[in-house]
Amino acid sequence: MLKTLEGPPGAAPTTVADASKAVPHPAPARRLTLSWLYLSPLVIVLAMWIYGPMIASAVLSLMDWDLSAGFSGWVGGENYADLMVHPDFVRSAAQTLFYAVALVPFATIVPMVLAVMMWQRLSRASHVYRVLLFLPVMVAPVANAVSWKFMLNPLQGLANEVLDLFGAAPVNWLGDPAIAPVMIVLVTAARVVAFNILIYSAALAVIDRRTLDAARIEGATSTDITRYIVMPQLTKTTVLLGLLVIVMAGQWVFNNVAILTQGGPDGSTDNVYYHIYTLGFSFFETGMASAASMIVLAVFMAAFGVYALLQRKGKRADAL
Amino acid sequence: MLSSPTIKRPVAERHNADPLRGKARARLGTVTWHAVLGGVAVLMLFPIAWALLTSFKPDNEIYSLAPIADNPTLEHYVYAVTKFPIALLLGNTLIMALGVAVGQILIAVLAAFALVYFRPASRGVFTALLAGALVVPAQTLIIPQFLLTARLGWQNTDIGLIVPQLGACALAVLLLVQHVQNIPASQSNAARLEGAQPHEILFHIILPALRPAISAVFILVFISTWNEYLWPLLVAGRLEDSVAQIGLNLFMTAEGNNYGGLLAAAALTSIPIVIVYLFASRRITDAFLNSGVK
Repeated sequence: MLKTLEGPPGAAPTTVADASKAVPHPAPARRLTLSWLYLSPLVIVLAMWIYGPMIASAVLSLMDWDLSAGFSGWVGGENYADLMVHPDFVRSAAQTLFYAVALVPFATIVPMVLAVMMWQRLSRASHVYRVLLFLPVMVAPVANAVSWKFMLNPLQGLANEVLDLFGAAPVNWLGDPAIAPVMIVLVTAARVVAFNILIYSAALAVIDRRTLDAARIEGATSTDITRYIVMPQLTKTTVLLGLLVIVMAGQWVFNNVAILTQGGPDGSTDNVYYHIYTLGFSFFETGMASAASMIVLAVFMAAFGVYALLQRKGKRADAL
Repeated sequence: MLSSPTIKRPVAERHNADPLRGKARARLGTVTWHAVLGGVAVLMLFPIAWALLTSFKPDNEIYSLAPIADNPTLEHYVYAVTKFPIALLLGNTLIMALGVAVGQILIAVLAAFALVYFRPASRGVFTALLAGALVVPAQTLIIPQFLLTARLGWQNTDIGLIVPQLGACALAVLLLVQHVQNIPASQSNAARLEGAQPHEILFHIILPALRPAISAVFILVFISTWNEYLWPLLVAGRLEDSVAQIGLNLFMTAEGNNYGGLLAAAALTSIPIVIVYLFASRRITDAFLNSGVK
């Protein structure tokens, strides 16, 4: 079968790529019909559940629409104007930034150190740690939140019992506006650390261990190896993970906010994503929630554009 | 993942004239290594482990600081199983996760094949649309998605749980496109020369080569759908039609301080995935790794 592609000896060498051009596809018209047939399920789900809703959101944001009562008139840009000056929305935006910044160390330095440590020793123990440290990604978010809620229970929870052993006053972990956002960060952090250890491990796996042995024979100390071989390898990953956490943090904390604090106390754990949910499904302000969605979408797309640009630039910079 | 294991040379040993001192230092290094990694593992897994241990404590010991119950009991599990439709919820979760995973894979296999094999002119448009769909925050689309689902009368149905989540197939499509591209074209070219139809090429050449990629995507989509919280919360808020995540949340609201039952229920909803993970951790982490995206 393959003989037909190889051609007679002496003929111009035929590569696989050349061959693909040489072989006739089905007739163009039939090809077009067929390709759309194969692509139609994708087109339908994207239109119905992603791009249709995006357009619908833009339209809804110009309406006064109550989730239970329905459409009650066009309001133009009023929803946007209201949101921009609404203290709750402005605060939720600020909280989103707080989460983004607070989660950065858990997305970068913490998993990086752990991944490097596991990578330094190939042993049974490091395999066990690897398996254990990824486990938080597997545990269902509600089950994880329930476990934390039990530990942080203000009356008899373990956290306060332990404080009590040291003679410290009990803390209202999820009920104090100053502490609750920090707890949301910590509950989310385990999952972020666990996942990013995996990403860093993959980046480290690229390093050829023979290079390291060669470096050692040349007299490199482990500090040299870390500085000149390991760190450069991880810089790109760190930049990517850092940008990713800044852009995604608000979405990553969503489940924990929804389950543990519902945005409270006093809106201290709210963020824009949870705020959209509250506007839409607690206050039934469909138009307002859609306007908030559009604002978030615009900011998010802009941020992602910058991220994609940087990534492309990075790729070009170290293309070998 | 890791390249071939090579000879481990304890650095300390070579840099010290006195071998004994070197060994002691290496041992100290090992102790620190275990202390840090073990400590972090304990910190990260502590709440879950504590919840699991607590679920075996009788009510009068539930707040005790002792990790292991004096009188371990299964009463909370009995309570959770009888008062909480755990089997039904897990069944619904399984149907949802299977439905979404199989659905996304069907869509993705067909689309990836078409995009690579027919090379339609719209290819660039599709890539852009898929990238857009991949990064758009789910929460910004929930309102129109919910309105459409309600209009279709799909609330509290399996269809309503599954079909809208097929919209999140962008990652599956992009991953499979990559894998289809990596399959050498020579075989399908040869088959095409012999007059094979596109669907024959898909079934006999592409699909067999794609099997490992498909199973990785399946694992990824299945686990993330199993743990999905927001969409089921919106469309399946009633306990009897819902999934484990929502049921657990309803249980928490309804039985506020009955932590024994709640923690037992939480354990029951998490254990299936955790057990699968412990048996197939390598395949699962590889699947997540290939995605590169959470």
